[in-house]
Amino acid sequence: MEALSGLSLAVVLAALGLWVMVSRRNLVWKLLGLGVASGGSILFLVALSHRPGVRPPILGLGPGPAADPLPQALVLTAIVIRFATLALALALVILLTEHRHTQDARRLEEEE
Amino acid sequence: MKFLLVCGLAGLLGLLGAGLVGIWPRPEFPDPDPVAKAWGVANAVAAVVLGVRLWDTIFEVLVYVVAMVGVRFFLLGMRWQGELPPVAETPLLRRSADLLLGPILVFALYLAASGHLGPGGGFPAGAILGSALLLLALAKGVERLSAELYEPRLERLEYVAVVFLLFLGAVVLVLGVRTAAAFVVANLLVAVEVAIGAWAVLHRFASARGEV
Amino acid sequence: MNAALAGILAYFGLGFLGIVFGKGRETAVLAILAGLVSLGLWAPGFPEEVVGGPPWGIAVVGDFWALGIWGLALFLHAAALLHVWPKDQLRHALITLLVGTSLAGGISRDLFNLYVVLELSSLLSVILIAYEGRSAAVWAALRYLFLAGLGMTFYLFGLGLVYGRTGLLSLGALAKVETGDMASRIGAGFLLAGAATKTGVFLLGLWLPKAHGRAPTEVSLLLSGLVVKVGVVAMARLAEAFPLGPIVLALGILTGFGGILYALRESDLKTMLGHSTVSQLGYMLLGLGVGAGEGVLVYAVAHGLFKGLLFLCAGEAVEKSGVRSIAELSGKIPRPAALGLALGSLAIAGLPPLAGFAAKGLLGLGQPFWVKAVLYAFSLGTAASFSKLLPLFRGRGGGKFGGIAFLSAGVLALGILGLFLFPELRGLQAWGEAFFAAGLGFGTYLILRERFPPLPKLSLDRAFLAALLASVILSAFVLFI
Repeated sequence: MEALSGLSLAVVLAALGLWVMVSRRNLVWKLLGLGVASGGSILFLVALSHRPGVRPPILGLGPGPAADPLPQALVLTAIVIRFATLALALALVILLTEHRHTQDARRLEEEE
Repeated sequence: MKFLLVCGLAGLLGLLGAGLVGIWPRPEFPDPDPVAKAWGVANAVAAVVLGVRLWDTIFEVLVYVVAMVGVRFFLLGMRWQGELPPVAETPLLRRSADLLLGPILVFALYLAASGHLGPGGGFPAGAILGSALLLLALAKGVERLSAELYEPRLERLEYVAVVFLLFLGAVVLVLGVRTAAAFVVANLLVAVEVAIGAWAVLHRFASARGEV
Repeated sequence: MNAALAGILAYFGLGFLGIVFGKGRETAVLAILAGLVSLGLWAPGFPEEVVGGPPWGIAVVGDFWALGIWGLALFLHAAALLHVWPKDQLRHALITLLVGTSLAGGISRDLFNLYVVLELSSLLSVILIAYEGRSAAVWAALRYLFLAGLGMTFYLFGLGLVYGRTGLLSLGALAKVETGDMASRIGAGFLLAGAATKTGVFLLGLWLPKAHGRAPTEVSLLLSGLVVKVGVVAMARLAEAFPLGPIVLALGILTGFGGILYALRESDLKTMLGHSTVSQLGYMLLGLGVGAGEGVLVYAVAHGLFKGLLFLCAGEAVEKSGVRSIAELSGKIPRPAALGLALGSLAIAGLPPLAGFAAKGLLGLGQPFWVKAVLYAFSLGTAASFSKLLPLFRGRGGGKFGGIAFLSAGVLALGILGLFLFPELRGLQAWGEAFFAAGLGFGTYLILRERFPPLPKLSLDRAFLAALLASVILSAFVLFI
């Protein structure tokens, strides 16, 4: 049940992020959309690895089989990469705003 | 355009849903305990991140540092030129920042140094250190703090940490050395590098705007 | 394997030392030497090995793809270094890191490792594209970052589905198990869509022409010559593990003709070369779709050489004269750049005895008639789109040869080597067909020149929408094959 709610939330987040990315004209909104969509994909990885009744993958921590540590490691990497991408994109948006005095994607496109 | 977007999103939802329906039966995965034992640590996730998949983690650290290089580079010429806003008089915040700073630092160090035994590791520790710096910046004002933390030297320290991490990667992956000491060193290096990167980004974004 | 890993680590380490000490140029030279030594040590190749050991280690392999990418990377890095020697140090260090990332992508055979490598290469490319801070370049870089981010989101969804169903990440292991069920098929479709978006395939990755066109000279050279090829290798490895052949074939045909259409219409020299890179991706994907792996690799290396040469000369011309449109550039180009443009255009049009001819011949060797027909149609379109560069071939005034001579020698040498090794390419028929296709292309250009219809503009929102719809359609197709 937890896995199912997590997975459906992940898919809905991705759709929501993509909707914002396409329908909003402001670059910062588009960036937020990208962040939400990639957050959805990360949640998708985490929720997929959920199995009921497993213990944390640490030696000597409770009975039963241990959880799969691989998705947890992958997600750690994916989160850092997402943070780095968003930081760099935000820096570029700041630079662009400084040059062109607008964050409207359509106006940026027309003025070229 | 809206119609096409709705069609595309509906298709995406449908495909992902169909994929999820088809995902059962789930495969068995190998028992993580022997892997953790083979690398001499207790935390299997740490064994994966810094041992089995160290090759990925090296690239992850590189992604982080490269993004920080980019942010610094692009915002370099954009320091706020006007009058700095006065730092808000918040005695409560300042006092609690002073009180909390020590425990936060100790906690971050503990997480970095014991990441191979339990939950924790270099990335959370670095993020905690970075948020401690954010707390200080809120209390003191970002420009005063950046005068105290001399940035070019920190930046150089970050790159040196990366070079050491690459060297450690060569020792572990190419020479095949497996000790818990390598995990402690790697976690500390990652913590240093993440904290400096987080501080640099915070500082750059803040000083391009003129305030936190 | 160890030699390859050590070589990549040395590349990254030297890149960072270059940043720390402000000596990017010198460390770049050392890095190329380290790369050559490492390549020499593992040279004939190594079988798939697992870095970090089972059960979760990262599979790397030293097959012909890895060899080709490493050779191309080191050669292009040397050419770029030679040409932009006096430029600033940080740029050289970042270029070293970008080449090191491509080396790592060449040997990787693990789904997640490919994701990390592709992300690192897009971040580095974005920084280098926007390096000079011109707003058009920053905008192009931001578009790239957005679309690559979207593609990588799809890639992660696909990775989740494939891992959730099979519990495997290594492409070599995935090739051995049954992946015909619904979840793996949809996952494979999303993986391919993500890699294609990052590579710049038509309709999925519409960022490519603008980003390659607006980047600084040496960066366009490396992006078009090398980074795109890493994406192609990633797609080739995906096609090895999953039943994706027909989809890749369809993508190849679409990409080839789409790129040619936009290249015919474009009036900006460097952006036109970017559109042409898209159309050339069509050749490689077509080859992957029909299973001609080695031919695709030769084509990728040849394209890396002649497109690198073209971008180098075009960048030189645009930098020296300060104008970008083809019509205004004629008569303003220094002589070495004009010569290089002429040689590169002849090579890309597939005229013997240059590298393009040998590569196209090898790609079509032993293929059924319809594949050859599509290849000739591509050749015709390429020749037509490059016909408008004819007025630029006459240079004026001197300039430095530097990397231009280096890359020209590479283009000639690869072509002559191909002729020497494959007697099929020496026949009168092959040469006649090549000249005929190029001549027909020139004729098409003369007819179409004045009455070419306008094409839809590739704005950011349209690019997003196209990527979303194309990914969904592509994955649905994988499901129903």
